[in-house]
Amino acid sequence: MSEPTEKQPRRVHLKVLGATLGASAFAYAMAPLRAWTKELSVDAFLQKHYKELTKEEMTKVIARLEADTKRDYGADVTIKDPKPRAGVEFGYALNLSVCIGCRKCAEACHHENNHDRATNNSYIRVLEMEQGSFDMERGNVQYDHAVPAPGKFYMPVQCHQCDNAPCTKVCPVQATWKEPDGIVVVDYNWCIGCRYCEAACPYHARRFNWTKPEIPKEEINPDQGYLSNRIRPQGVVEKCTFCLHRTREGKLPACLEACPTGARVFGNLLDPDSEIRWVLEHKRVFILKEELGTKPRFFYFFDV
Amino acid sequence: MACSVRCTGKNIVRSLLFTAAIVFGVACGHRDQAQSLQAAPSASATGAVVIHEPPKLTSIETDKVDALGKPIRVACVTCHTARVGQKLPTSPDDLRDFHQGLVFKHGDNTCANCHVLGAQDSLRLADGRLIPMREAMTLCGQCHGSQLRDYKKGAHGGMSGHWDLASGGRLRNHCVDCHDPHAPKFVPSTPVLPPRDLKLGPPIPHQAGPAIPKLSTEGAHP
Amino acid sequence: MNQRSHAVTYPRFIYRLLAGAFDGGWRFYLWMTILTAIALVGANAWAHQLARGMQITGMSDHVSWGLYIANFTFGVGLAAGAVMMVIPAYLYDDHDMHNVVLVGEILAIAAISVCLGFIVVDLGRPDRFWHIIPAVGRFNWPVSMLTWDVIVLNGYLLLNLHITGYLIYSKFIGKKPSKRWYLPFVFLSIFWAISIHTVTAFLYSGLGGRPFWNSALLAPRFIASAFVSGPAFVIVLLQIVRRASTFRVGDGPIRTLSSVLRVTVLLNLFMLGSEVFTAFYTGGAHATAAKYLFFGSHGRHALVPWIWSAIALNVLSAVLLHLPAARNKLALLDIACLAAFAGVWIEKGMGLIIPGFVPSTLHEVVEYVPTLAEWKITAGIWAFGFMVLTLALKVALPVLTGELSLAKEEEPAEPEPVPEAAE
Repeated sequence: MSEPTEKQPRRVHLKVLGATLGASAFAYAMAPLRAWTKELSVDAFLQKHYKELTKEEMTKVIARLEADTKRDYGADVTIKDPKPRAGVEFGYALNLSVCIGCRKCAEACHHENNHDRATNNSYIRVLEMEQGSFDMERGNVQYDHAVPAPGKFYMPVQCHQCDNAPCTKVCPVQATWKEPDGIVVVDYNWCIGCRYCEAACPYHARRFNWTKPEIPKEEINPDQGYLSNRIRPQGVVEKCTFCLHRTREGKLPACLEACPTGARVFGNLLDPDSEIRWVLEHKRVFILKEELGTKPRFFYFFDV
Repeated sequence: MACSVRCTGKNIVRSLLFTAAIVFGVACGHRDQAQSLQAAPSASATGAVVIHEPPKLTSIETDKVDALGKPIRVACVTCHTARVGQKLPTSPDDLRDFHQGLVFKHGDNTCANCHVLGAQDSLRLADGRLIPMREAMTLCGQCHGSQLRDYKKGAHGGMSGHWDLASGGRLRNHCVDCHDPHAPKFVPSTPVLPPRDLKLGPPIPHQAGPAIPKLSTEGAHP
Repeated sequence: MNQRSHAVTYPRFIYRLLAGAFDGGWRFYLWMTILTAIALVGANAWAHQLARGMQITGMSDHVSWGLYIANFTFGVGLAAGAVMMVIPAYLYDDHDMHNVVLVGEILAIAAISVCLGFIVVDLGRPDRFWHIIPAVGRFNWPVSMLTWDVIVLNGYLLLNLHITGYLIYSKFIGKKPSKRWYLPFVFLSIFWAISIHTVTAFLYSGLGGRPFWNSALLAPRFIASAFVSGPAFVIVLLQIVRRASTFRVGDGPIRTLSSVLRVTVLLNLFMLGSEVFTAFYTGGAHATAAKYLFFGSHGRHALVPWIWSAIALNVLSAVLLHLPAARNKLALLDIACLAAFAGVWIEKGMGLIIPGFVPSTLHEVVEYVPTLAEWKITAGIWAFGFMVLTLALKVALPVLTGELSLAKEEEPAEPEPVPEAAE
């Protein structure tokens, strides 16, 4: 059939027709992509990994991200890239004896970290469990009665910032890693969205952006960090960063400030006089799923 | 001739090594910028730790409201200088004219354990010494020593501000910010931000235990 | 003719293959049109998924992998299973098998294309694919098992492309293939086939936080089930090839493959049984996922019909394969093969991936049901795979039968044989 002979003109015509139809059907099928590619700039496509960006490149990236936020959400925001501090490794402890399960921490996280409004997304999930049992099997996160309820106790769970983090190990593109101050971060502009880290995390600490987050302009927290609470793009994984845009500037995390019972203790593990060190040295501390060997920086404790 | 061959061989090996180094470097992420760190927190804490002073230590709510709808408060001394009671009440039921509706649920304490007739802006410690009302924490700590210890170590009580006092100050809650001194146990409240994840579905009835009542009114939380 | 440079004959070879891929009888056109239509429906659904986000799938933060990864896992098994033709052909010198071994290698190529398709549609950001290219992006090798999977899958694809391409090209130019240009690759591909499925199993079994997957038996189970789905598919495929093309397929390969199948189908059931025993006899938290899978948990049982269908199909195929009648009646054998294929597809797909997430790591029971969009995309990728398989066979078989060769092409008088559809 290579050269059309007199016997086969109809066949060739049919083939041309078929190919044309096929091509236009393909173009039609892929038409929804136009909306998607419109938001994808060449600069964004070619952007380098966080660790490879020079200072000047980072300045440009941040300017672009701020402009994107203005375009997509109408909000003026400031994105910073605070660096880890020398001599600081963060630790966090939570007092299960006093937590009342009010979920104010989850709510503060929701607002601080610019989470999608429709899904009530938050990096913190609070389990209600029966006193005298530590069976998460019988736990419940969807409680909607008054708290604290009789016979129950509450366990908020968020990223444990593991030293031996299963999530960073499995990432095929090094889009998530552990910073020198102990915080496990994600480069939202490098993540390919395979969700392997979500499968690997034993603490349900990671979230995927199943859609573009929706937040009303006036509710957007304008004080943002590149590696933390800036509005995440669709199709990437996100996680708790101990509010590094706050904590690397010396401030307390948003969930701690919101806690009405003072169940949360945060600080520098390398400072022997810090509150967190006092708790770890004097309280009955335990680690969730310690048997997995994840070596968390997040601890639970009970009052003695 | 032999020399030149050897030299070429050496060069080939050298260039191979060089290429390998580049490939290895690229593959292992040696394109990274040098990691920059912020300075370590300074040892001298410049930020102050301030303990919040709840207004209830110096004033009391009246039934009048201001233009914004907030109850107007009057200082304790406003009434307590003009009017000195005859007898310290023994239970909240005795409070007829003032402090009506005070709920008392604090163990076996009686009013006289902490209050003294004629010194209403002071509190009485167990050893009989009087302290100003604003120093209530000392009084609480007489019985709740472990909580006071934890508080002093930063492991009890809410706070806001800075973990690093070299970067800024910190505001700490007072005992009575969270606990009503006359009924210190937390009043149950409705939790906020119920999970609404994708595909979550209705909650699973986990235990056949008695149903826990929902609150009819919001905002009963202290 | 043989003196001519490859620079001349190779483009000619490629051109002839391409031309052959677009020419055939009406059955071929009908089959390809149907596949194209399904693939386009899938492409359209994928475009929607990219534009609107993966919220249009049934996945959630609790069940973060679903139908795509399930099919990916199964597809890797299918690709690995094709090696069950290579082993008899090259390790045991089975001459009948040697004649048809190329069909298995082509199946491996198509199956790997399917796997890569499922990985691409599962990505939230396929536009950032380049981040995973070694030396260009940041390849987290050797720590991430997924990077190993990238290497072994693409390596397996290249190996099979090389072997089939080289053998067909040699045949096309009428030269005896030189052993050193394909034999080492064939032996490598045997080990490589085992590695693709082992690495894929390690993706899951290496996760300490997912007790359902965290089992040393997972990789052996994967291999066993691969050696069920692979031969089952090839048995049916060889019969279709025999009918639809002039390529001669003897009964020998089919007999050999059904002998293999008779063992592996039992081995697979045995390993499933071992997992079930360990889970249920021990009980406790580690049994929760198995309990959810087989009986439902906390009043939720979306997977129960799936897994019992899988077990019924696997048992049915085991019984049928061991009936004496199945040795003579091809129809019975075909039913057994289809049952085994479907059974493994469920067991290793939905039956393996979903219980890893239910209950979640905080023991929440959130169910997963694939949405229409996911089914469309899944069907589209399988249709694409069948297109690859059909076209590859369509161009390769006439070369193997000698209908298409450089020698024939250069005899202008000879009327060109139009090969029949090879679906």
